Amino acid sequence: MRIDRNEGGRAIFAGVVTIAIGLVYLSWVNSDSSLRKPTGYPQLVSIQELPDSAEMCPPAEPARTDLAGSPEDNLFAALQATSAHAATAGAGDTVDVTRPPVRTIRDTYPIYSSVAVDTQHDEVVLQDTNLFGIKIFNRLDNTPPGAESTAPKRVIEGPKTQNEYNNGLSIDPKNGDIYSVAMDTADNMIVFSHDSQGDIPPVRRLSTPHRNFASAIDEEKGEVFITIQYPPKVMVYRKEASGSEKPLRVLEGEHTGLYDAHGLAIDVKKKLMFVGNWGNASDYRVAGSGKFYPPSITVYPLDASADTAPLRVIQGPKTQLDWFGGMSLDPDNGNLYVANDVGNAILVFNETDQGNVAPSRIIKGQKTGLSHPAGISVDTKNKEFWVSNMGNSSVTCFSLTANGDAAPVRTIRSAPAGRVSLKFGKPQAVAYDSKREEYLVPN
Amino acid sequence: MNTPQIAVFARLAKENTLETRALEGQKTMISRTMHSLAYDSVHDEIVVNSPLAQAILFFRGGAKGEEPPVRVIQGPHTQIRGTDYDGNDKMTFDEVHGEVIIPVNKDTILVFSREANGDVAPIRVLGGPDTQIRGSVRGHPVVGVDPIHNLLIVRSVGEQGSGGALLMFDRTATGNTKPRSVIRGPKTGLTGAGGGTAQLQVYAPKGWIVGGAEGGSIGVWSIEDSGDAPPRWKIPVQQLAGIGPSGVAIDPVHKEVIVASGGRNRLVTFYFPEIFD
Repeated sequence: MRIDRNEGGRAIFAGVVTIAIGLVYLSWVNSDSSLRKPTGYPQLVSIQELPDSAEMCPPAEPARTDLAGSPEDNLFAALQATSAHAATAGAGDTVDVTRPPVRTIRDTYPIYSSVAVDTQHDEVVLQDTNLFGIKIFNRLDNTPPGAESTAPKRVIEGPKTQNEYNNGLSIDPKNGDIYSVAMDTADNMIVFSHDSQGDIPPVRRLSTPHRNFASAIDEEKGEVFITIQYPPKVMVYRKEASGSEKPLRVLEGEHTGLYDAHGLAIDVKKKLMFVGNWGNASDYRVAGSGKFYPPSITVYPLDASADTAPLRVIQGPKTQLDWFGGMSLDPDNGNLYVANDVGNAILVFNETDQGNVAPSRIIKGQKTGLSHPAGISVDTKNKEFWVSNMGNSSVTCFSLTANGDAAPVRTIRSAPAGRVSLKFGKPQAVAYDSKREEYLVPN
Repeated sequence: MNTPQIAVFARLAKENTLETRALEGQKTMISRTMHSLAYDSVHDEIVVNSPLAQAILFFRGGAKGEEPPVRVIQGPHTQIRGTDYDGNDKMTFDEVHGEVIIPVNKDTILVFSREANGDVAPIRVLGGPDTQIRGSVRGHPVVGVDPIHNLLIVRSVGEQGSGGALLMFDRTATGNTKPRSVIRGPKTGLTGAGGGTAQLQVYAPKGWIVGGAEGGSIGVWSIEDSGDAPPRWKIPVQQLAGIGPSGVAIDPVHKEVIVASGGRNRLVTFYFPEIFD
């Protein structure tokens, strides 16, 4: 085919112009993200074959799970981070899906399950059941209203401490040793010396049954008491026990009235033991034996063992007991202080109470700062009691004579004022409510 | 635990986002050790065991605060029996057929109607040596259900926690019935350590079984698989998020898999369109 010079020049010019327009267009396309408008929903951006496993890039660092921007940002980042292998996996093959999570729900602040006062060293000891540590503050610390939080004096935290989902703090009044019991994963009691801090192993570790809740120490006899939630019992060990040492005695059986045992207090002078029960009952050896009883406080001789029935029981609607946690006794006057978790109150009973009796005092109200009070510790030396609040990462200190909507004399916060805790406590399962687009998360 | 609440979070909640509501308190009858629960979207109810009291509780879908359950299954006729370690902590729910399925006593599966209330007998009992159902040393097997293909799926555990398997039964199987098919073997991801979740989910339209796999992963198997079949997909949760999965839920609309970590106090959500498309 013959093409004359003019026609050829025009054709070349047209071609150059077309290519130039095309390049400009492609450049604009590549630079303008508006062509893929965000929809709020996942979009397929590419299909790429994964390399052979031997050459595959290592998975993302765990820190990437903390992406906490907008969901669109997270998803966009996630889709950019790794290839989206959209092919259906065939039988015999496993496709590793290595996109990082698009969202994470967690609480980054402490959740205080338990408190104990060390009057010898003027310190307050807190058990953090969220970040898994023990935090020690000066007894006279008081977080100013405008401050974000108060820094602890010492922190015992890290994998070597074996501290996971712990509770039930007790302090040795002689040497300041810290006793802490595991509620779930660890099945032990761990003991730290007073000066412990950082990621260090406990000075003693005692194997215990599953589901510890509270502890108490009888200094006169050198014994440590531990409540076990289920199957419910009270274990009594030598105070110095460690390893797999057997208990000195066990209170357990159908006549004990123990049902989902929780808080524990002892009166060494009057030789009494008080146990809080939530009322969830069953004998795991007998099918269909489940029952729900009202919550109660059962009172025993201090040396009770085996299937001993309680001396008396505090139980009934007047008590207002509602998923109550820690208990602590003032031996000088027999006042029994109860952290009434879901009732958002401190209930004060007399140790001689029995039956359907109302508390002699109730500390409750807006001024108290109480939020899911779970732990409590009476300080008879300074005439105060301390409450650990699971609901707002704080511990509040009250006069022993406080009543009604009383303001705390001091508050130590580990989170900004007004912040509410997620109260996570081993969220083992999850369900999706498709109607409300919500996650259901049990502790 | 201190407070065995059921907290409710918006789907898009993230770090430190507050719950929208929580079920808690004596009147709820819930107890600790709730290692599985379900939402019944047909009847708008929450279904959960009360593990320390050998009971099954049904709540309104929007229940909050100290709200009592609308129905409670509990009593001698129920045959519900837990263990000293786990109570009766596991269950699943078939919202198409309105049935609660709970494993008990290590090697038996009980099925109740969702309408049951009080001290009622199960409508079906599956158990016996031919079923190959076996719970963990101190606990129960894990259950899931596919209401479209009419399958009951049981994550069975071998002796001393080894040799795990997925057993597939006809959904209405009773007595000492053999499974229709079994996924078992070294390639399945069901045998090694770190493979346990207390929940099994089934995306029935595609027949995908979603549950824990070894190495701290979430694995996906097909209901068509049998023998030594590896998972079709795997999310290496431990590597990606630094947590071991303990529970799992699926959100087909948004094509997401939600993973709970009891060991590390958090929930993570993965975008996972592959199993929903």
